[in-house]
Amino acid sequence: MNRIADNKPRPEVQRWSKKFWESTKQGKLSVQKCMDCQQYIFPPRLVCPNCLSENVEWVVISGRGKVWTFAALEPAGVPRLFKDDFPYVPALIELEEGVRMASHVIQCDPTDVYIGMPVEVVFEKLDDEFTLPKFKPLIK
Amino acid sequence: MKREKIAIIGIGEVPTGFFPERSCKEIAMQTSLEAIQDAGIDKNEIDTILVTGALSDRMSFEIHMATGRMIEELGLGNRVKTNACIFSGGSSSANTLKIAEGLIRAGRANVILCIHADKLGTCGTPEQVENILRNAVFCPEWEIPYGINGVVLCDWIMNRYIYETGTTLEQIAAVVESNRKWARLNPHAAFRDEISVEEVMKATILTSVSTSAHFQTYTDGGSAFIVTSAERAKEAPKPVYVLGMGSRCINSIITTCPDITRFSYKEAAEEAYEEAGLTPKDMNFAQIFEWYAIMQLIVFEELGFAERGKAGEYFAAGKCAPGGEMPVNTNGGILAQGHTGAGGGYALLIEAVRQLKGQAGERQIPNARYGLYTSSGGSFFDCHVTILGNDSAAL
Repeated sequence: MNRIADNKPRPEVQRWSKKFWESTKQGKLSVQKCMDCQQYIFPPRLVCPNCLSENVEWVVISGRGKVWTFAALEPAGVPRLFKDDFPYVPALIELEEGVRMASHVIQCDPTDVYIGMPVEVVFEKLDDEFTLPKFKPLIK
Repeated sequence: MKREKIAIIGIGEVPTGFFPERSCKEIAMQTSLEAIQDAGIDKNEIDTILVTGALSDRMSFEIHMATGRMIEELGLGNRVKTNACIFSGGSSSANTLKIAEGLIRAGRANVILCIHADKLGTCGTPEQVENILRNAVFCPEWEIPYGINGVVLCDWIMNRYIYETGTTLEQIAAVVESNRKWARLNPHAAFRDEISVEEVMKATILTSVSTSAHFQTYTDGGSAFIVTSAERAKEAPKPVYVLGMGSRCINSIITTCPDITRFSYKEAAEEAYEEAGLTPKDMNFAQIFEWYAIMQLIVFEELGFAERGKAGEYFAAGKCAPGGEMPVNTNGGILAQGHTGAGGGYALLIEAVRQLKGQAGERQIPNARYGLYTSSGGSFFDCHVTILGNDSAAL
């Protein structure tokens, strides 16, 4: 059986971003941090884009953040390959460490999503190779 | 010291729309011949050809063009010194102008023919075309696996802009209505039927804030223009001078853009106004690059035509439509003329020149002296503002 999910686009991984995807498989959200200028870096880079230092390390981050902006899709706006995922809300998440990440807000009614909404990471297995970080409302 | 300016002396354009029989090479030839005639030059004066490639037929078109196809077609063998492709997506026209300026000032070129052609309307199914554009605009590692596409990008901008400014959905819909009013007067536009604010809002509902009417449709199209020095242009029938250019390159994907409700148009515009010695009040029109209605409001404000959050009121009051005090996108813009890939910025430049040459027919803005156009590539990764004028006193 050829399921829709089998045709969904997989991340095209760069050599220097492998650790991000190894980390999500273990249920951890990691980004790079420049050990010279202390800046958090995402998406992953070969060197720190701020100071061009090669002294860049991977750090596990909290996985908490806020919705910076979002798209509350209606059924007609959902791409064909993502119909099985619906309802989900594609959003730009601003993480506590200051970096922004494109992802989905899930496990809630799409009409409840708003700018500034506190969220936390959840991990969704796509296949044996990839686990995608997604976000759900943070219940305090 | 004042820098020597350049000028556009001739333009050519084919109708935008769905023309399966019309090849990119044919578009390139038709528009080039029209531009040569419009400039009133001998074709043998052309010593440089700069081409912006087709997304629909990248390999074939660019390789043919870069290896001298137009030189053969126009009988310019052994005359042209430089023949190359320049591509930065939707901002290709602005970068072509900058490179043309450099070649002319350096004394390496006198008369430059610039061409764009594409067939995004008829080269494949809508899904195939969407895939070509998707891979050109979104990140295959951090965006595409999440289904981030044009609808999502537009909503991200819209929701954040509405949150920060209080602009209404009716005001955003008024942008589409305004563009279509202009397109009705443009025989080259693909979408010429008027559409009301209510009809925009009742089109296919895609998200909580956007409908299918907020988006571009991919079409076939192309245009050409001829650039020379301002000095040499004075011999041309109706030269249009490039008075100021300002640009900022920001990022490569929307996820990393620091401010998606402003981008860097303000900085680019300030640079262009300063070079031209002009202000927003001097502009008789603005041709604003956009493939989402929302972008016209943002750029209108960043260019200094309205305070932050007030552009919606201008469009809703009809001030940017035909007969309004600040005409915007007099060819219908990308939404109504049609999205031709890298050609959207070309079409807006051509329209700006056409208005300043007094060749805009029914949609001619009376006594237009100065105007500007903007352009941007990818998912708005750069901002270009170009100020043009037909008054040699401004040089």
